[in-house]
Amino acid sequence: MAGADSPSTALRRRDLCTRGIRLVGKMRSDVIDLLDTYVERQGLDASASVAAVEGVPPAAVERWDEQTGTQRLLENLAAYRAFRALLAQMLEEQREQLGEAGAALGRALAAVLLQVSAFTYHLEELLRLESRSPPSEEGDGPPPRPPLSLFEQKLRGLGVLRELAQWALRSARDLRQLAKPSPGTGSAPGLAESP
Amino acid sequence: HMQYERVGADVTMKCGSMDWDAAVTWTANGTDIDESHLNGSYLILKNVDLTQSGQYSCYEGSSWHLKYQTYLRVGTPPKEPVLMCRSNNYPKGFYCSWHLPTPTYIPNSFNISVIHGTKEMICEKDAVPKNRCHIRYLQLFSTVKYKVTLTVTNALGKNFTTLTFDEVAIVKPDPPESVVAKPVPNNPRRLEVSWQNPSSWPDPESFPLKFFLRYRPLILDQWQHVELSDGTSHTITDAYAGKEYIIQVAAKDNDIGTWSDWSVAVHATPWTEEPKHLTTEAQITETTSASTSSFMAPPTTKICDKGAMVGSGAVAVCWTAGLVVAAYSVLFI
Repeated sequence: MAGADSPSTALRRRDLCTRGIRLVGKMRSDVIDLLDTYVERQGLDASASVAAVEGVPPAAVERWDEQTGTQRLLENLAAYRAFRALLAQMLEEQREQLGEAGAALGRALAAVLLQVSAFTYHLEELLRLESRSPPSEEGDGPPPRPPLSLFEQKLRGLGVLRELAQWALRSARDLRQLAKPSPGTGSAPGLAESP
Repeated sequence: HMQYERVGADVTMKCGSMDWDAAVTWTANGTDIDESHLNGSYLILKNVDLTQSGQYSCYEGSSWHLKYQTYLRVGTPPKEPVLMCRSNNYPKGFYCSWHLPTPTYIPNSFNISVIHGTKEMICEKDAVPKNRCHIRYLQLFSTVKYKVTLTVTNALGKNFTTLTFDEVAIVKPDPPESVVAKPVPNNPRRLEVSWQNPSSWPDPESFPLKFFLRYRPLILDQWQHVELSDGTSHTITDAYAGKEYIIQVAAKDNDIGTWSDWSVAVHATPWTEEPKHLTTEAQITETTSASTSSFMAPPTTKICDKGAMVGSGAVAVCWTAGLVVAAYSVLFI
């Protein structure tokens, strides 16, 4: 919706952005710690190259600085909803693979999953603030895929966590862009829709 | 005609199409070369060194017609080059710069290739300095590494080196600029320090920097450190009264990369009270004995020597001062 924000909307947006930035900062730090634990528990090589994994939203983006605020929010929301499902799947796989021996890893995964859910809610709130209903989630989970071998599951998990760490970096930058006050109109830059 | 030879090589020069047994004279940079270096009409230079670079000419014996001329350049093939890549203007791009660890003494050409995944990127060479090129990031937040290969070639050989890195690993801002340190009026233990973001950092609002400040009095070797997550100013509150301080600041992106080099150092001394107006006799005493004392002490008394200091930082005390304080405390019990 084009036009200036009310002061309370601008304040609420800035508050959500500030808290969101803190949340993804903590999330990124936890994901980096989790990566060390995951690599060790799953017996992987930390420097292993993982090709783009199907179903994992890539954080890489071209012309990032040209994105509108709404684009940023929608892309972030789609990504974190996907990560929510992927992490839930990883949690289940890890329980089957490692059982009790993987309890610490399971707790760390669950904690990150909680943060991803919290951030997803944050993004939905920000979208509502722009008078946009968050898009409905398609189906109940990721589409069914051919079963992976145990090793392929572990590698995919590595890819998921690495990509999530990149997303956490990108999201902090996206929220800072959103939080920038626009000169004159009082609305955040990039949030005005094209006529 | 140019000829390149390695240091230590044996070089044989033929006098153009002249027969081996023709009578010739060779010169090096216009000076005749002794016949002992000749084998027939061939010039033999054994184990050449750098000083033998120059213009070699061969003249027919009697007519002094120039039959052959070459410019000899003695040098070495290149050793493995030293390559460095850095982003001081994230998220715009990064630059790579290089040099040879030892000179080759002959011209070298450099070729750099940058690959990101399957994509080859163009590294645009800077006019100044010559051994540098820069790349714009086409993608941000990528997990795919960059691979930079630098090949150096000259007439005697080639060599190369490769660097592989993440987008974020090479981020290192330039040091903060315009560092200023000022005393705070009526506060003998404070110094106000302010600085600016490096001008090369394009978007400090979306990519904020955090800062590291270090300071020490000139008379001590140990630095005090403060890390600051926002703002471009800080007040030091534990400075030693009357002591000149040296202060520096470094910067780092809040989330990624490494710390910048330290900024240019600034010096400042905390505010000290103006000496009160005294009688004429006392004023004469003051000007003759207090000018070299760095403590604001009564004019004829030096309270502390550096060697009598105990402890460090804000709670350092000296024995003499401690005794004085203890004596006063006893008086008031």
